[in-house]
Amino acid sequence: MIELDVRLPLAGFVLEVRARFESSAVAVLGPSGAGKTSLLEAIAGLRKAAGRIAIAGETVLDSERSVNLPPERRRVGYVPQDSLLFPHLTAAENVRFALQDGGRGAGIFDEAVSILEIGTLLDRYPATLSGGERQRVSLARALATRPRLLLLDEPLAAVDVELKGRILPYLLRVRDEMRIPMLYVTHNAGEAVLLAREALLLREGRVEAAGPTAELLSTRTLAAIDPLARFDNILEGLLEVPSAGETARLRLAGGAALRVPPSGGSGERAVYSLAPEDVLLAAHPLDRVSARNVLEGRVEGVDFGSGDALVRVLAGGIAWRAHVTAEAARELDLSPGRSVWLAIKTQAFRPIR
Amino acid sequence: MILPFGVAAAWALSRGRGAGNQVAETLLALPLVLPPTAVGLLLLELLRKSGPAGRLLDLAGIDVLFTWKAVAIATAVMSFPLLVRPARAAFETVDPRLLGIARSLGKSRLKAFWSVALPLSWRGILAGALLAFSRALGEFGATILVAGNIPGRTQTLALAIFHRTQIGQDEAAFRLVGIVAAIAFVTVWVTELLQRRREKREAGAP
Repeated sequence: MIELDVRLPLAGFVLEVRARFESSAVAVLGPSGAGKTSLLEAIAGLRKAAGRIAIAGETVLDSERSVNLPPERRRVGYVPQDSLLFPHLTAAENVRFALQDGGRGAGIFDEAVSILEIGTLLDRYPATLSGGERQRVSLARALATRPRLLLLDEPLAAVDVELKGRILPYLLRVRDEMRIPMLYVTHNAGEAVLLAREALLLREGRVEAAGPTAELLSTRTLAAIDPLARFDNILEGLLEVPSAGETARLRLAGGAALRVPPSGGSGERAVYSLAPEDVLLAAHPLDRVSARNVLEGRVEGVDFGSGDALVRVLAGGIAWRAHVTAEAARELDLSPGRSVWLAIKTQAFRPIR
Repeated sequence: MILPFGVAAAWALSRGRGAGNQVAETLLALPLVLPPTAVGLLLLELLRKSGPAGRLLDLAGIDVLFTWKAVAIATAVMSFPLLVRPARAAFETVDPRLLGIARSLGKSRLKAFWSVALPLSWRGILAGALLAFSRALGEFGATILVAGNIPGRTQTLALAIFHRTQIGQDEAAFRLVGIVAAIAFVTVWVTELLQRRREKREAGAP
């Protein structure tokens, strides 16, 4: 559980965040310069803030009772956007740097190295690592402190497009296997939905909205305040690969199976992303189409923009986001409660592992 | 000998802001600008038995003037700014966020300095130490004023060379020059070597 009541004067405005989160992962969204990074730094104790911060029941900051734990006693693992590895240390030395004295940390070192698959990078210096590799080492380093809370500042932003999705599965493993709560800054609503049950939307230092991720990000608020916001559908499930020549199936937690391009063997966990532009909506059942995925669903809501609309559809236990023109949305009479059919080509799913 | 103090001063200067910092910086730079004999005279005034520092030293039973201790003090004062300036510049290039990360990874302020700021600034500190060493080796004006030129006791290499030429022993003077040259050569060589090896390693060469 994280309790925040933070006041922090920044260059153009005062960051004021009052929020309380129960879930283990919280997404922090908002346009660049909204104070997201400053908020993380305040929680880590790297910026002087006023107010109160409590992590898992322990107060780390309470300016009224003059409690202000130094960063080294907050047990918060901070992974900055640019990794900030120590350039004079190898990857292994960077991770070991975080181990607590006395050698008790050896187990966590091995665990972090294996979860993030950085075993082959250990002898290399940061200057020779790619952006994605650096982020993984930085994440392993943060984990090695056995933090009570992970602060992740756009862990995918500094990574090039091809590698972008590759960090995500690691984050899922950290969340599910190591059970470490996280605060996750991102511009991608899809990532937020996949990783976090709750979300915080910041704008110019103020809380624009806070609450369950799926509800929060289905409105156009995010698109309106953050031009960089992405609304990708992100799907996670188990792969089923039938005989050769057939498409692979992704079995979702809800039971539905999607036909996707193969990205691994049968029984493996996989994550795919799907752009909202690639979801076709139909008012009537579709018959004999080339798209391999046709699902019946119900419209949850429609957010009209200028000339376009973001439609939320519940189908197969998944909240889908489809991006269509405003004209199409009107012609199909898309409104909450309406039955629709989704058609998605197999090739539109991009594996991110 | 001045290394720990010089590094500490450089660190303080690189972190500090405001008027006090500027005054301290200017004071530290003075020995660079003043004629060495002027600094020597000031030190002499400070250290003589009735001077402010000399009185304390006298109480403690320490005799400084015209001993090797005076040589050490004079060369330290003269070479101090040469160490501090490059070391300070090096500290200023260290991203303060790296120190923040070190703290949040569980290190105290001191440990963060020791394991991050210091190793990342070694180049500047090394360059400063080298400069300071060469200045100390060649220091003449301040030393001769506070320590005199007593053969076998306070006669530094620089003083000895001067002395030999004055009394016409040019050959002996040249021998001393040879010694100084050897010391200088080895020092510069070793620093270069250290620097080269470290750079290669961090650039990722196997």
